[in-house]
Amino acid sequence: MGAFLVKRMLFAVVTLFAVLTLVFIVVRIVPGDPAQVILGDQADATAIAALQQRLGLDRPIWEQYVSFLSGALRGDWGVSLVTGRPVIREILDVLPWTLELTAVSMVLGTGIGVPLGVWAAINRNRMPDYVTRIGSLIGLSFPPFVSAILLLIIFSLALRWFPVISGNRATPWAWFQSIMLPALNLGLIMAAYITRVTRSAMLEVMQEDYVRTARAKGVPWTVIVWRHALRNALIPIVTIVGLYLGILIGNSVLTEIVFNRPGLGKLIIGALNQRDYMMLQGMMVIYTLIVVVVNVLTDLTYALVDPRVKLS
Amino acid sequence: MRMSWMAGGALAALLATGPALAQKTTLVIGMQTQDAGVLDPHINSGTPGKALLNWMFNGLVRIKPGQASPDQIEPDIAESWTSSADGKEWTFKLRQGVQCHHDLGEFTAEDAVFSLQRAGSKDSSAFSSDYSAFDKVEAVDKYTVRITLKTPIPSLLGQVMNYHGGNMVCKKAVDTLGKDGFARKPAGTGPFVFAEYVPQQYVKLVANPKYFRGEPKIKEIIYRFIPSDAARDLALQAGEIDMMIGRQEQAWVDRTNKIPGLKVIAFGPAEMSVIHLNMTQPPLDNIKVRQAIAHAIDRAGIQQFRGPAISRQAVSVVPSGYFGTHETAPLLPHNLARAKQLLTEAGFPNGVTIKAIHTTLPGMMGFIEATQAQLKRAGITLDITPVEHPTFHQQIRQDLSQLVHFQAARFPIADVYLTQFFHSRSIVKTPTAVTNFSHCKVADAEIDAARTEQDKAKQVALWKTAQEKIINEVCAVPVNEMLMLWAFKDSLDLGYELKGSLNLGPPITEQTRFTK
Repeated sequence: MGAFLVKRMLFAVVTLFAVLTLVFIVVRIVPGDPAQVILGDQADATAIAALQQRLGLDRPIWEQYVSFLSGALRGDWGVSLVTGRPVIREILDVLPWTLELTAVSMVLGTGIGVPLGVWAAINRNRMPDYVTRIGSLIGLSFPPFVSAILLLIIFSLALRWFPVISGNRATPWAWFQSIMLPALNLGLIMAAYITRVTRSAMLEVMQEDYVRTARAKGVPWTVIVWRHALRNALIPIVTIVGLYLGILIGNSVLTEIVFNRPGLGKLIIGALNQRDYMMLQGMMVIYTLIVVVVNVLTDLTYALVDPRVKLS
Repeated sequence: MRMSWMAGGALAALLATGPALAQKTTLVIGMQTQDAGVLDPHINSGTPGKALLNWMFNGLVRIKPGQASPDQIEPDIAESWTSSADGKEWTFKLRQGVQCHHDLGEFTAEDAVFSLQRAGSKDSSAFSSDYSAFDKVEAVDKYTVRITLKTPIPSLLGQVMNYHGGNMVCKKAVDTLGKDGFARKPAGTGPFVFAEYVPQQYVKLVANPKYFRGEPKIKEIIYRFIPSDAARDLALQAGEIDMMIGRQEQAWVDRTNKIPGLKVIAFGPAEMSVIHLNMTQPPLDNIKVRQAIAHAIDRAGIQQFRGPAISRQAVSVVPSGYFGTHETAPLLPHNLARAKQLLTEAGFPNGVTIKAIHTTLPGMMGFIEATQAQLKRAGITLDITPVEHPTFHQQIRQDLSQLVHFQAARFPIADVYLTQFFHSRSIVKTPTAVTNFSHCKVADAEIDAARTEQDKAKQVALWKTAQEKIINEVCAVPVNEMLMLWAFKDSLDLGYELKGSLNLGPPITEQTRFTK
């Protein structure tokens, strides 16, 4: 286990370095001048040149790269070119919002998807199976920004159960109201994926000899399904949950914008629009870190759910 | 018994006054943005920032709330002013007792001098070039400021009003907090004081109890960043916001106006859509091709397309209503036959292809696609390369587009539009570049002469000639003007009639209040 973790850490460092270099180059290749964006369309060439100098954008690329890398190693990710605030502070201010949304969405997605998948599998080619399959197909077909607007129209405007602006954490009830719709929006789509994967994994496991033996021995049906079959079907489910985290973070961009929640998604769109190189670099590091950590956690979970898996 | 009757009467009176006591005093505004940007009035030139900063800062003078014309200038921090006969020396007498926010003390001539010097420095201001004619700014005494110009300029008052570099900042705040610190806790003298910034969510302002025009009736402004159009609409309908910037779409206006309790107001200054033609590149170096383009564009058709209630036809190469606009300029009329004839005369009987880099912003994209369809009818193919907005701004300044569609409003004096878009000093890719995409230089003499002309009638005549020359040369084709659109709750009384706002958002003054 220790060797495994050390190996993954080393791998993470190499990955981070590669991502940092790639992002540094890519954000500068994309056309668009941050100084122009900051000063607006009435700024003359002199003012733009002065700001470029102040931001260090007039220095040779290699010099900017060295300065960026040495800063990053010291934990200094620079300041946002647009707001002038430290990048790390800007990211840490909104990171909990995205993590919270992702976590609740995962809980909802898994909590709905796994039981539905099991239900569909044990009722194969019967009404519950058809309903679940059609439902999950609809879920997979919905772009998150469309489902977000529909949820707002139904639950915020017509029923007035939840607010349109989802950024209130003043009380537990306000927090619940704020997170429920965005999390449901992401969670339902995730549930559609999980349902289908769970169904197919369960169908495979249910054909196994040990299931037949358990039934012949008179083991109760619920014990066979939930204790024996589901546990053996968990590996593909854990894999898809781990992989889906990346999709969740991607989908959270539009969800955060439509529900007006703070988060990394909103931050990255703003940074892209304004060509905030420093912010984009910092955010890519965070995204890479999240993906690396989730991959490690997924590998660790394999060993937990299936003792046959050895981490080495 | 008598006591209980009295108590009952008192209770009834209390209940009757209940609604008045509960009157709403928090104004929640929805702005189409991820963030308001740098909260420094000398840096921020974006719509979201300008509207917000306008509620915190004053100028020495101001345009009356709800107006956008320089004819409507009135005292702000300065209570009076005089100028020398040659227009080169201006003296402003300041009000006494104007207080800086955050208990930073009285705003005096020293602050005004600091503020104008800061606005004129390229290290601290995005508008420094506006102040290039300033020679000296001095504090004559505690309440008197004198500005000496190298040469007279068309509107000195425009440079000292609550707009761009004319916003007055408190020296002590900048000295204490530094430039970056000031942007995190801006300090002006306006009706509202900066209270809180929550990243990606809102900026909170509170009423300034020491405001020199009196304490505002609105006690708190929550300026929410809501980038999604749909979310802003839903939030307004759900009553979570009271006022919001709208979409420049006729259908949105019609739909919102039908919702009970809501209203939409269209106001100036309008952003004018102009097609700039790069006269240095073939085939646009041929005036007949440029004339053909002008004849091929149907301004009435474009107005119909963009929405008759939210747009109007352009009248000149300077937007209508500006001081010095030629309101009856000789624009070439829509005439397809003439356009085709001119193309043939120019040696292009089978038509021409023009390349244009264009932003993907939906409103502007709709315009250029409609224009593309109109040009096609005359045999002119417009080959559009859509790019992201920041890329568009960079590439058009690198002279990479033969045709540039630019939509903008400027300070409403003809000089600004003419200088930035049509003076040779502003040609793109030069050291003094601004936004002259056409490489036009036919009216330099008139634009320069008008800037120093003290006789208003002669000045206007010079601008009129300049506009005629630019139109005759077809440096650009002005097409359409789009008004600003904001939606409000009926119960919000701004305290004035909203016809215009230079800062692109409705001024929230000490008089603004909710009626229920």
